[in-house]
Amino acid sequence: MRIKILRRSSPEAEPYWQEFSYESKPDQTVAGLLGDLNYMGDLKDVNGKDAPRIIWECSCLQGMCGACAMVINGVPALACETFIRDLQGDTITLEPLKKFPVIRDLMVDRSIINENLLKEDAFIEEYKDSDPKEHDHQYMAGKCLKCGLCLEVCPNYKGSKNFYGAAFANDCYLIATRSDIHKKDIKKSYDDHFAAGCSKSLACVDVCPMKIPTLASMAKLNRLR
Amino acid sequence: MKNVLIIGRGISGLSCAISCAELGMNVTLLSPYTSERAQSVLAAGGINAVLGTSEDSIESHINDTIKGGCYIAGKNSVKGLCENAPGIVRWLEKIGTVFSREDNEISRRAFGGQSHNRTCYCGASTGKQIVTALTMEARRYEGMGRIKSIIRCDFYSALIKDGKCYGAIVYNEKTGKMEMIRADALVIATGGQNALFGMTTGSQLCDGYAAGRLFMQGVELKNLEFIQYHPTTIQTVHKKMLISEAARGEGGRLYYEDDGNRVYFMEDKYGPNGNLMPRDIVSRCIYDTHRQVYLDVTFLGREKIMNRIPEIYELCQKYYGIDISKTSIPVEPSVHFFMGGIAVKNNHETNITDLFAVGECASIYHGANRLGGNSLLAACYSGRVAAKAINESKAKEEVPDEVFMNDIDVACGIVDKHKASESRFAVKYIRDMLAVNMNNDLGIVRCEEELKKGIEDIEYYLSIADKINFDNTELPYTTYSLKAILVLAKATLVCALGRKESRGAHFRSDYPETDADMAAATIISYDNGNFKVAYDREGRYEN
Repeated sequence: MRIKILRRSSPEAEPYWQEFSYESKPDQTVAGLLGDLNYMGDLKDVNGKDAPRIIWECSCLQGMCGACAMVINGVPALACETFIRDLQGDTITLEPLKKFPVIRDLMVDRSIINENLLKEDAFIEEYKDSDPKEHDHQYMAGKCLKCGLCLEVCPNYKGSKNFYGAAFANDCYLIATRSDIHKKDIKKSYDDHFAAGCSKSLACVDVCPMKIPTLASMAKLNRLR
Repeated sequence: MKNVLIIGRGISGLSCAISCAELGMNVTLLSPYTSERAQSVLAAGGINAVLGTSEDSIESHINDTIKGGCYIAGKNSVKGLCENAPGIVRWLEKIGTVFSREDNEISRRAFGGQSHNRTCYCGASTGKQIVTALTMEARRYEGMGRIKSIIRCDFYSALIKDGKCYGAIVYNEKTGKMEMIRADALVIATGGQNALFGMTTGSQLCDGYAAGRLFMQGVELKNLEFIQYHPTTIQTVHKKMLISEAARGEGGRLYYEDDGNRVYFMEDKYGPNGNLMPRDIVSRCIYDTHRQVYLDVTFLGREKIMNRIPEIYELCQKYYGIDISKTSIPVEPSVHFFMGGIAVKNNHETNITDLFAVGECASIYHGANRLGGNSLLAACYSGRVAAKAINESKAKEEVPDEVFMNDIDVACGIVDKHKASESRFAVKYIRDMLAVNMNNDLGIVRCEEELKKGIEDIEYYLSIADKINFDNTELPYTTYSLKAILVLAKATLVCALGRKESRGAHFRSDYPETDADMAAATIISYDNGNFKVAYDREGRYEN
């Protein structure tokens, strides 16, 4: 099969497509595929030309760290939990996430996610015992990988000038339900940087690898007084 | 006001950063990636603490830890760890860790080698929930200007002069340059040395480089031969994945098939609680069966499985295609945790003044075998202990930057050589060969012949590592980390060769008995290519 990758050697360089041949293994993941391409021998493209090794981010390789988020056949997903057997056709295209600055190849700079949380003082400080009914929802929200997939698919997120996206909304929920002193401020941040810009496409809910119920976070934050 | 440089931002690094900031110090928290990518998020099972509402006691936690570690962990260090555990768990909840709760108290489950249910947990993602809470708390101090976060930066070496540490040289991926960061204290929080073995249950990012590099700079290492094989892992095409001890904590049973009958070998040998023996024992028993072993949780029923261990259900379904409510899980032991690492005293300082190590890269508390639930505890506790020691340490004499100019020149030279390389040869080819050696020669059962063969092979890799030009399309870190990783691997084999007995996770087929005279930690030091092994009978480090 063919693997088509959108490459870039540095943030300043022009992107270009490069194609590779790969002997398909249906049970392999896209993360495993990248490992195979890079190290099954010296990397060469379909024309036999030497190619630089493909740079991408990975850590846990089992869907628990969010490092390997990328666009696979046009669909944003984690490479380590996307299996070749589930992809259509005999070509796989891999692109970096498009809503973040590219560092190299499939590696992007997602630091904006934490920068926005820092800017809005997203922390608990003085903990108050929260309603036990919120426990399961808090547990799910606490699993956010900050992988950026929710921002990638969001029609309203355009590089975070004012609208910070679902990753921000879920952290707002975690704080608002467990901190009295920050409840009011974080609710305002949520209103300004999420509620005001969200058109409720809910693409973020579908794409989330942790299945975080962002819609429920929104409902609870909207109700908060 | 003291400046502290922390390398690594998993649970131990975050914990240390927060404690330093609380104590009024300025922290630089440096790592290649953000905390969400740290191996800590993979820690599934839980964190041990004796909470007030049980029949358990701190004394019992101490005894279990010492016994689990086969009597070579320090009594005072372990006492500190266990006494502080309840406060740490309460604090973690207070900063937002979403612990599972029942009957108005944090839920606890049974874990191997423990006499009571004392493993507090957050579903099956305890590490992740703790990271989320610590990240939020660290953000608070970042907002106050006490913590400065730097990402896309890699450790190169420590700035050491006359047995004292003054900061570090780091490779800045953004600028493509080596940079010197001066600090009153340096804390290493870089995790275990997974890369030695290639595929493990842990993160690809934990490679042991920092421990290997510091060893070459005169920092002593300890107990490297004690490597925990987790008894229940599954092998997928690209990764070994952990089936958390929680599965056995909830009642899961290990068996193999013999002539169509199930043999519950752990229960046959150790009674009804046999499945929850310490990890070294279970792994060795699985090894001794020489058969495919299965873990059965089907009898728990789908509802309980989905309620108590949903992540294990999902993992097996996604990566292995089995429904664990209907089918047993084929399991095998795999490298999971390193009891050995950088030798630290009870206050987490190394043999170099103002150089500290915390979390899995530090060797302390776990002796010859770690109990499940004690690693998250040690990660949190060690960060606090180091912060307190740094705060109380005396100021040392100033040393100008010029003293380290030669070090930085050498570091820059390495980057220049890497950039100028036209080779296509990948560092990974040598790392893969190393992994084959380590898995073959340092498995669950070791012997002198295999260990010596392994040392010989690694000496060969070391002899060529400096001579090869490597592919410069990879990061300079990949290239410059290789030699120290190889040195650490050799040190590990040398430690294993030196311990002529079997104890905990170190089992020698040629010395199968425990030798009472060897009830001491191994200390290994490096002097210009020579490796020297000694045993810490006086409690020079941990006591």
